[in-house]
Amino acid sequence: MAHPEKPVKISKILRAKAQEFLESHGNPDILNQIIKHFDSGVDTVSCLLALEMIFTNLLRDRRMFIEIIPLKPVENTPENQHKRWLKETYEGCYSMKILGCLENDSPRIKLQGLSTAMNILACEGRYPLEAKGTLENYVPLGKLKAILIKMLSNKQNNTNLINKYTEYLLYDDILFFTWKVLPSLTAKSNPNEIYIMNYLVLLEKLQIYPNTETKYMCGGENVSFFTFEENITKRCLNKIWHCIMYWIHTPETLRQLLIVLLEKVLVHLEKPLLLTDFLMDSLDVGGPVSLLALQGIFTMIQVHNLDYPNIFAKLYSMFEPEIFHTKYKARLFYLSDLFLSSTHLPENLVAAFAKRLARLALLAPSEDTIIICNFIGNLILRHPGLKCLLHNESGVTASTDPYIMEERDPLKSNAINSSLWELHTLQNHVQPAVANAAKFITLPLPSVEWDISSLLENTGDDIFDKEVKKFSKLIVLQFEQPKGLSLNRGEKVSMYWEFD
Amino acid sequence: MVKVKNRKRVSVDDIQKRRQVQNEKKKVLNPFEVHINKEKMRILGKKSNNQKGVPGISRAKAIQKRKHTLLSEYKLQHKSNKFIDKRIGEKSKMPTDEKVAVRFAAFKAKAHSKQSIFNLSSDVLSHKEHTLSEIEKFEDLSSDDEHDDDDRGKLDSDFIEEAHFGNGVLVNTGVEGVKAHKNLIEQLIEESKKRKAEQQKIREATLELTEKLDSEWKDLVQLVSKKSKNDDNKDENKSKVDDYDKYMRELKFEARGTVSDRLKTEDEIAKEEKERLEKLEQERIDRMKGVVENNGTKVNHRSADDLDDNFVYESDTEENMLSYDTTGQSNVHVQAELNGKIIGEPQDNDEDNEVEEEESGSEGEEDGDSEAESEDSLADLKDDIVSDDENEAESKPNDLPIKKDKTSKLNTNGDLLENKSNKRKSLESSEKSDDPPKSKRQKSISEEENEVDSQSNEEELEEAGNELPFTFNIPDSYESLMETFKDKSCNHQKVILERMIKCNHPSLAQGNKESLGVLFDYILQYLNDLFTDIESDKSIKQSFQIFKCLMPHIYNLAQLNPENTHKSILEVIKEKHQEYRKKKKRRPGVEVLVFLKLVSLLFSTSDFRHRIVTPCFVFMEQMLKCCSVKSAADVSYGLFLCTLILEYTSLSKRYLPLSINFLSGILHMSIPKTSVKVIKVVPPFKSLSSDLVLTKKCLKSPVTDKLNISVLLQTEFTNEFKISALYTALKLLKDFKETFSSYSSNVEIFATIESYLPQIPIDLYPERVRVEYKEFIDELEKQKSERKLYYLVLEQKRPKALRLYEPKIEKVYDGKRHKTQSREKAEREKLVQKLKKESKGALREIRRDKSFLARVKINRQIQSDKERREKVNRIFAEAASQQNELNTLDRKKKKK
Repeated sequence: MAHPEKPVKISKILRAKAQEFLESHGNPDILNQIIKHFDSGVDTVSCLLALEMIFTNLLRDRRMFIEIIPLKPVENTPENQHKRWLKETYEGCYSMKILGCLENDSPRIKLQGLSTAMNILACEGRYPLEAKGTLENYVPLGKLKAILIKMLSNKQNNTNLINKYTEYLLYDDILFFTWKVLPSLTAKSNPNEIYIMNYLVLLEKLQIYPNTETKYMCGGENVSFFTFEENITKRCLNKIWHCIMYWIHTPETLRQLLIVLLEKVLVHLEKPLLLTDFLMDSLDVGGPVSLLALQGIFTMIQVHNLDYPNIFAKLYSMFEPEIFHTKYKARLFYLSDLFLSSTHLPENLVAAFAKRLARLALLAPSEDTIIICNFIGNLILRHPGLKCLLHNESGVTASTDPYIMEERDPLKSNAINSSLWELHTLQNHVQPAVANAAKFITLPLPSVEWDISSLLENTGDDIFDKEVKKFSKLIVLQFEQPKGLSLNRGEKVSMYWEFD
Repeated sequence: MVKVKNRKRVSVDDIQKRRQVQNEKKKVLNPFEVHINKEKMRILGKKSNNQKGVPGISRAKAIQKRKHTLLSEYKLQHKSNKFIDKRIGEKSKMPTDEKVAVRFAAFKAKAHSKQSIFNLSSDVLSHKEHTLSEIEKFEDLSSDDEHDDDDRGKLDSDFIEEAHFGNGVLVNTGVEGVKAHKNLIEQLIEESKKRKAEQQKIREATLELTEKLDSEWKDLVQLVSKKSKNDDNKDENKSKVDDYDKYMRELKFEARGTVSDRLKTEDEIAKEEKERLEKLEQERIDRMKGVVENNGTKVNHRSADDLDDNFVYESDTEENMLSYDTTGQSNVHVQAELNGKIIGEPQDNDEDNEVEEEESGSEGEEDGDSEAESEDSLADLKDDIVSDDENEAESKPNDLPIKKDKTSKLNTNGDLLENKSNKRKSLESSEKSDDPPKSKRQKSISEEENEVDSQSNEEELEEAGNELPFTFNIPDSYESLMETFKDKSCNHQKVILERMIKCNHPSLAQGNKESLGVLFDYILQYLNDLFTDIESDKSIKQSFQIFKCLMPHIYNLAQLNPENTHKSILEVIKEKHQEYRKKKKRRPGVEVLVFLKLVSLLFSTSDFRHRIVTPCFVFMEQMLKCCSVKSAADVSYGLFLCTLILEYTSLSKRYLPLSINFLSGILHMSIPKTSVKVIKVVPPFKSLSSDLVLTKKCLKSPVTDKLNISVLLQTEFTNEFKISALYTALKLLKDFKETFSSYSSNVEIFATIESYLPQIPIDLYPERVRVEYKEFIDELEKQKSERKLYYLVLEQKRPKALRLYEPKIEKVYDGKRHKTQSREKAEREKLVQKLKKESKGALREIRRDKSFLARVKINRQIQSDKERREKVNRIFAEAASQQNELNTLDRKKKKK
């Protein structure tokens, strides 16, 4: 129990020392002591706090400010010497020690380092070290850039650091100058995966427009020392994107890139059609990446008039059994609903989709089966020609399903000559919700489509909760007394398992 | 008919008479009196009834009529009263003697017929609406004391003094005169009424209480008075009682046999049981089919005349013919469906209750026996089991808090763990018990257990039954249950549980049902502790052994309180699911499997939707979908789940895709993978995992028919396990295939599996597995070739009948233009017309009345004037004659 008390004590000592240093008008020994302790590598957090306290106070009291009178050499008084020394130590500490912490392994030290660096930066912005023109405040760009460089490290994943940084992005000045600095930090040639990841995570957090609530970090409330220009941020974004697109991506970064692209960037790009090739390439990667690319292409088709002939075949090929176990299935359903919302599609194409979905539903989890059933219902509602899948009066029997599951081209899959036997089978599903959803094929079709969007996020848990809450007074017990552990009828467990 | 004939004749006569009269009248009719109305235009076919009239005669008639009515009224105008002589014989002039006699007779008759309140002689004397003879019997016990103080309902003396004497003038009410007095009287009446009502109320209450007391006393009196009577009055009675009385009383009080149902023969019982089971089975099948049949497309017969007005035309089949039997019961059971609820359907609950009651009855008898036995056996049995007789009384009122305790315990995991450690100890100690007298027996029992023999098992049971005390109370806490079960073999536990249930059967006492519910909760908790964190093979087997032993009694327990069973198990499943939800990839403990198995044993799993089974399906599905498959235990856990699903669905033949997915994953795991070609598989299986791949030939290794339960704990993939896992998976798939054989897309379901099967290196496996494999592949092939797909056809929609309206029929064509309007309106119009006519007539009549009255008045005036004139004349004449006399006298005087 003695151990945990130690840091508390040391932090107290360090704070006392910092206090002492400030009161003693800058005794170099004390500062050196602290820095030495810092170097020793223990109690880094406390040391950071002490340094933060010292430097913010020094900056606030302008004790490092050397007044420069034009056309007059700086006097070499001991006071000025002391100031110069303080300044040097300050710069040294900042660039080496504090920013060094951002590369530390411990996330706690990292976060503390970031907050210390940002606090000092803010302080310097408010109380500048040197007079810069007429402005009273400025953002120390050099220091900001240094922080960003550390954050966009190519050695470790800095996601949590970047998440912390988003707190500072609420300040308009920090946001704006981050945008301004970022193009210069963007790697021109192929960087490594970690860097890309960090970069994309940061990019995801940056927004183009100023915050709704105007706050400045380096500067008072009503002092406007710069104007937030959206043109500039947009231009920066375009510049950055031009580089990023040509990097070589791994599947993960590509996925992240597409997410950022779809959610943040696409709207602001000047020439989005340049993305076409990139999206097409991504479409062939498969899995979630192609799904995201598909969404991108959809936007392009919709907004920017892109013509992509084979899009439905691509979409069709995405319906694989694995899709239900990925995070992106909701997006896929949403997208396919959008794609197939047109009523001018050929019937055999839509039939192929319906049939494929039905096949997948045969082996899908319950929550997805419900979505699929409703989705197929919607397709039939939109395309009345598909009613032949439910109602075939020819009276012929078939031994095999005419639909060819393996055919990659939906138009050749011969789905229109088939029938939705799968849904008929699914009426026997153990989940009453699923069985009821599949029952629509025997009932008259409704006039309004089923609402899929509310179902997309459903999970098995939701179904469980629903079933548990379902209030039914009927209490039904097994009426045949079991013999030991086995039922009288339908006993299976003891046929497969031996209990002794 | 006769009457009618007569009437006809009469009427004919009448007519003749009338004609005669008319003829006479016509003869009399003066032609000068007849007035003929002049007709301006004659219209063909129009009937006019006022072509001619007799104004003079009708006027005379009217005047005559008025004289009788209006004039008499006029005469009586402004006269408020009149005398009517009602004396008998006044109007009809009869002789005086007769008159007197008739009057006396009438008086007598009147005295007899009307009960006068003052007529004492002829009436029965009564007091307070009771005849005195009634009162004299003193039957009404309430009457004696209450009438002593008759003044209770009356006003108090002060009030009376003030009110009665001086008429309240003494009191200054502030309002003088008549008004004050009126108020006073009202107040007085009100006051006395109120008091009376109060008294009445109090009297009724006391009466009620007295009666109640009496009835209670009557019950008690037999007990109390019997002895005293016997003692005190022995001598007197003995002397009095003679043989006759004795016999008579004997006959009177002889115990009579009450009518009861005869005992059922065994055949009948069996038949009834069979019928009951058949009925339950039918209900189960109905539930299995779910709502399909209820609101399906099947429509009742509709006749061609159906107007969509929901009028149901009953078909005239013999079943539906309404008739009544001798007791007046109709043979048609009224059954109607109202908002989904079936009204008048025979309630199955009742049936169940009846059955339960039957059971309870028989068991109650047994209980009586066992209790009788227990009395002597308890004396010599000095057992270590704490039979808390004292607690019995206390435990019942404490039921609710205990229950709460229990549920909270289930919810907190900490307690579970704590209990678990207790259990651990108890299990170990049960194995190596230090108690010398018991340990021997237990050892022998445990040895015998190993060689499972039904006969020896029964013997054991008997032994266990003899050893243990015969009564057990329901433990008041979970700990005390643990205490009771501690150090007991499973057979002992079984007997204990059995006796707990029997001793506390719901038919024996009122609170027993609830306390059995609590016991059920404890048992669930016990099972939970038994199976949580099991590590060794031996303990898992032992736990299952206990579970197996307790199961029949758990079933009984569940049957006794179904509501509670439902609630408790649902709680457990919910709790387990909550736990699982936190970490979806981690497979939960063995206890979940046990509870799922328990669900299949206790509930009917074939229902379309069941409050407990359906959530269990979701739970199993999630486990199969998400739990990662890394160790042998994971594989066997999944296999167990698949078996459970198979069991759940074996009757209802329903389908859960994830079970097939899991089994196909198992097959996939046994395929050796090459780096070149990736065989796709659905998560949670990895496309490259090959844990179940057999690396060397194991043709000789033994294949067990069943998987041992201990593989649930095994982590390593031994060759033996690999073989048996594949073997079981194949068998399960075959079973599933059988279940799904009726589905239309049964081939598609097994499509992936079919693609995996040829890639399994089956040559490495033992003979039995290969046979199974071959059979399965053959069956799949067969299924594929034999399948016949019928194209889906929607049911024909019935054409909807056109709506028909009431036909528009006009009854008569008479050339007149009729307004087309509703009957009500026409009626109204008619009435309005009539009203107009009548009011005109009335006005005319009133005018005539007025003129008549005016005429009467003027006549009177004339009359009185005339009289006056005559009077004046007369007086003048008199006066003149007088004057004349005077004058003559004067003249005489002058002459003189």
